[in-house]
Amino acid sequence: MHLIQRMKVWKELRLLEQRAREEPSPSTFVDLGQVYLNLDMHDKAHRVAEDGLALFPKATELRQLVDCAKRGQRRQQAAELRARLTRSPNGKLYRELAQLYVELGDTTTLHAVCQEWSVRFPGDAGAWLAIGQARLLNFYRDLAAREGQEAVRCLERAVRMDETDPQARKLLGELLYRIGAVRSAKVHLDALRQLDQSDPEIAALLEHVGNLADHGDDIKALLGGVEEQGCLLHPPATTNVAAPRQEESVARVREGLAGIAELAGVRKATFIKGSRALVKGAIRDGRDPFLRVVRVVAKAAHRFTRRLDIGSASKTVVDGDFGHICVCVYGDALAGAQCDRGADLDRVMAELQEIVAGALHLVGGGEP
Amino acid sequence: MSKIHDCVAELHRLPGVKGAALITNDGLVVASSLAESLQSDVISGLTSYLLMTTQRCLEEGGLGKATQYVLTATHGKAIVVSIDDSSLVLMLDQFADLAAARREASEAAQRIRRASRLA
Repeated sequence: MHLIQRMKVWKELRLLEQRAREEPSPSTFVDLGQVYLNLDMHDKAHRVAEDGLALFPKATELRQLVDCAKRGQRRQQAAELRARLTRSPNGKLYRELAQLYVELGDTTTLHAVCQEWSVRFPGDAGAWLAIGQARLLNFYRDLAAREGQEAVRCLERAVRMDETDPQARKLLGELLYRIGAVRSAKVHLDALRQLDQSDPEIAALLEHVGNLADHGDDIKALLGGVEEQGCLLHPPATTNVAAPRQEESVARVREGLAGIAELAGVRKATFIKGSRALVKGAIRDGRDPFLRVVRVVAKAAHRFTRRLDIGSASKTVVDGDFGHICVCVYGDALAGAQCDRGADLDRVMAELQEIVAGALHLVGGGEP
Repeated sequence: MSKIHDCVAELHRLPGVKGAALITNDGLVVASSLAESLQSDVISGLTSYLLMTTQRCLEEGGLGKATQYVLTATHGKAIVVSIDDSSLVLMLDQFADLAAARREASEAAQRIRRASRLA
């Protein structure tokens, strides 16, 4: 691209950025992100998509833009890793590269990388683990018996090559008990327990597997049965353990919000995670402008402080004719309150902080 | 104009204050006194973004205008006070006394308002 073309693109970009600021809508953010993608500036496209999602959390096109930007970022990382591998090949770089291709879902390139990896480092079990992971992902997605067989074959080989690698054993153990081969799974989980006796997750997994019925050791037949029925025989351990904890956290958040709403001068209070929100006080419905204000303030403050290199914005107070809007953020959970002038802001902020800190159990898939 | 500069420089001398700047709402720097690690154009751009984004949202929600922002982050704090068509920004370290800084910022904002009317 020559200089004049470059200048035209930058001019266009400035106009689009201005439009996104002045007339924010999902399409203006997508247009801007698309230009960045075309310029291979995936970081900026990702930032634009995140900014857009802060204002329009339900916009599917912005979520697609995030995915697209992330894929572009991973491709760039893969190209960089590939260049480093050409200069100085080593197992760690191969592992990172393979992991990127697993995340990208690019099976063909993953196979080529793993083939090269195992030729250069024949004693490294990592190549088999990476292919096993990719096959496992495909199996859990499609429940296709052939993918399951390949996953078992690759993971078993990885375990044989390195008996002390916990990851391959864990993945294999989990797959085996979920398809019904509980006795075979226990062998791997017991070995894992021997490797690290202090890991509570393994202990919980063993306890969970101990209560399940065994359906034999014929892996091929069991996988065939899963494909035919379209479901796995046993549920994962996490659902049994995490569910009550999540309910408990939501209940605690509700109680906390009720407590804040009762404080003198507090009009509205909310807890937001992802696209969902819990509310207390004088809030009409999910379209109440206060909810959007809390989201936007949190996002703008976050960006302001991050760009100034002073870390993540944890607490923000906005004063105005409306009184005070207080926002407290921890990770992707945020709590906010609108108070009248004269309200005890320190108390309100402390309570909001309690809520977001207490909602740590909701991290991951759990939304209120 | 020198009164405004003096106000800003005075704020920078307070304990825990890493810098102060007066910027217009569209991002132009009127006066600044900042530590070497801070760049006035970065602060003005980001403050303008913060104000425009939140102001638009507040107005759309029928909440009116914001007059002051107090941000607390992991490694620092910031105070933004709205003065007509411009804003006074104070950058603080993480140990600064927020209540005292807010008071000083409000007083400085009043002095700047008076000085800009006289100018």
